Amino acid sequence: MTSTLAPAPTAATPTAWRGSGFATQVLVLTQRSLRAVVSDPRMVVFSVLQPLIMLTLFSQIFSSIANTPGFPQGVAYIDFLMPAILVNTAMQSALQAGVGLVTDMKNGVLARFRSLPIRLSSVLIARSLSDLVRNAMQLLVMIAFAVTIFGFSPAGGFFGVLGALALSLVVGWGLGWVFLAIAAWLRNAELMQTVGFLAIFPLMFASSAYVPISGLPGWLQAIANVNPLTHAVDAARGLALAQPVTGAVAAIVTSLVIAAVGGAFAVKGFRKPL
Amino acid sequence: MTDLMIEARDVVKAFGDVKALDGVSIAVPRGTVLGLLGHNGAGKTTLVNVLTTLLPPDSGTARVGGFDVVGQAHDVRSRIGLTGQFAAVDEQLSGTDNLVLIARLLGASPREARQRAAELLELFDLADAAKRPSRTYSGGMRRRLDLAAGLVGRPDVIFLDEPTTGLDPSSRLSMWEIVEKLVSDGTTVLLTTQYLDEADRLADSITVLSEGRVVASGTSSELKAQVGQRSVTVTLASATDLPKAVESLVRAGLHPVLDVEHNTLTAPVTASRELAVVVRALDEVGLEATELALGEPTLDDVYLTLAANKAA
Repeated sequence: MTSTLAPAPTAATPTAWRGSGFATQVLVLTQRSLRAVVSDPRMVVFSVLQPLIMLTLFSQIFSSIANTPGFPQGVAYIDFLMPAILVNTAMQSALQAGVGLVTDMKNGVLARFRSLPIRLSSVLIARSLSDLVRNAMQLLVMIAFAVTIFGFSPAGGFFGVLGALALSLVVGWGLGWVFLAIAAWLRNAELMQTVGFLAIFPLMFASSAYVPISGLPGWLQAIANVNPLTHAVDAARGLALAQPVTGAVAAIVTSLVIAAVGGAFAVKGFRKPL
Repeated sequence: MTDLMIEARDVVKAFGDVKALDGVSIAVPRGTVLGLLGHNGAGKTTLVNVLTTLLPPDSGTARVGGFDVVGQAHDVRSRIGLTGQFAAVDEQLSGTDNLVLIARLLGASPREARQRAAELLELFDLADAAKRPSRTYSGGMRRRLDLAAGLVGRPDVIFLDEPTTGLDPSSRLSMWEIVEKLVSDGTTVLLTTQYLDEADRLADSITVLSEGRVVASGTSSELKAQVGQRSVTVTLASATDLPKAVESLVRAGLHPVLDVEHNTLTAPVTASRELAVVVRALDEVGLEATELALGEPTLDDVYLTLAANKAA
């Protein structure tokens, strides 16, 4: 061991590093999370496995729904289903953002980040951005499957699907901040999973995701009509099917508001000592 | 102005009803090593967390590098390195990527960061594993990478929280050598440990914590003078030889204590060469020890002695 390990405040020593700018922090930390995805692509494969199974099962089991009264005329069930699957997958991904944060908190990496001269909010923003990218990859894989295997080809064409994809990403990103906030306060991965499942699962079924609302029993219709997910799914579906889109702007605005509120709580919770 | 790099005054930190730190004060001059000795739960890690800005104290003040850990946390963070009990490395990332990440966050350019990472990996004998994900590293390698991560920014003050707990003897030794090298370069170190020999070897001064309080502090030799020195334990073949052995050892200037049940006698010694004195004294009266052991005082001895002193 010949060179010096530690500070020797002489002329030869490079200038001390006293912390990077906020943008660099976000960039470097986002790259870090994404590198984990690239170095272990199994994570992406596994994360699309569940939605792929849902896509396969639902598209086969419920395909006869397309022949029932109340179902939009001349629309194939896969074209009806796929936008909902996209929104659902984005929501699952939002949950994973929270789980990922808790994992970081547990394995000590965050303790090191906390001892560095950086802004803690950059850690959260990086987490959110990298999950957005990961989610986009997942959704693209899903769409590729749906097009090649199940004949997904909605009336909205390429741009319609792109719109549905973008909307799903915005919704998932907004919800991701809610789960980041929950993660920052709960700090428990198992609890996160349970809370997330309990929140997402009933919401998905009590909505317009898998069957038209008119096909639901009355009490469920009442819930579905106020369920924010119904509006997100309807908006994504409207874009994909090239139907008059009613709620796209509302869905985006709502997501941004959710992101802002969730973000504020997430940063506040995250600042609490480990 | 004294050149204290770490200074804590009456630091109190409670978790619910448990006072993890109950009025702790320490002072570490620049370029020295403070060994913080104590069992699990004595408050060592809590004190490190307060000093590294991870936990705010309930009361009392702490300054590191001249900066207040609460009011000037950013300044403190840009001057310290932290190596925890649980190696805080990103398991998904390679050794290089882990260090580059820290360097970039500290403000290094991509080129500087890669250079610094390569330098540290070389130094810590990790160059061959630089490209491998750190989850494939052994415990000792991970700990070295963790220490390297704490040194990326060439910190003035380094906190080592039980750096050798769970390491095999050779990894332990190489960790000690690294710490000694750091200190010779002028770094100030706060080291927590459960092992007296580790504190003895590395620390300029030792503070003993128990239940959140400082129960003793001083140099290693001051502490040992309190605790009682090392001792030689002689086991004889027959109990009938014991009186003769005691007589001879007393003549040689030692103060043996008898244990008739085990046919042993124990005498405190100040240096290991007194082992030879013991052997010679026994030889003079024609006795041979079946077993001869040199005992080091342990942390338990420190605690027991301190407790005994308090009771007296």
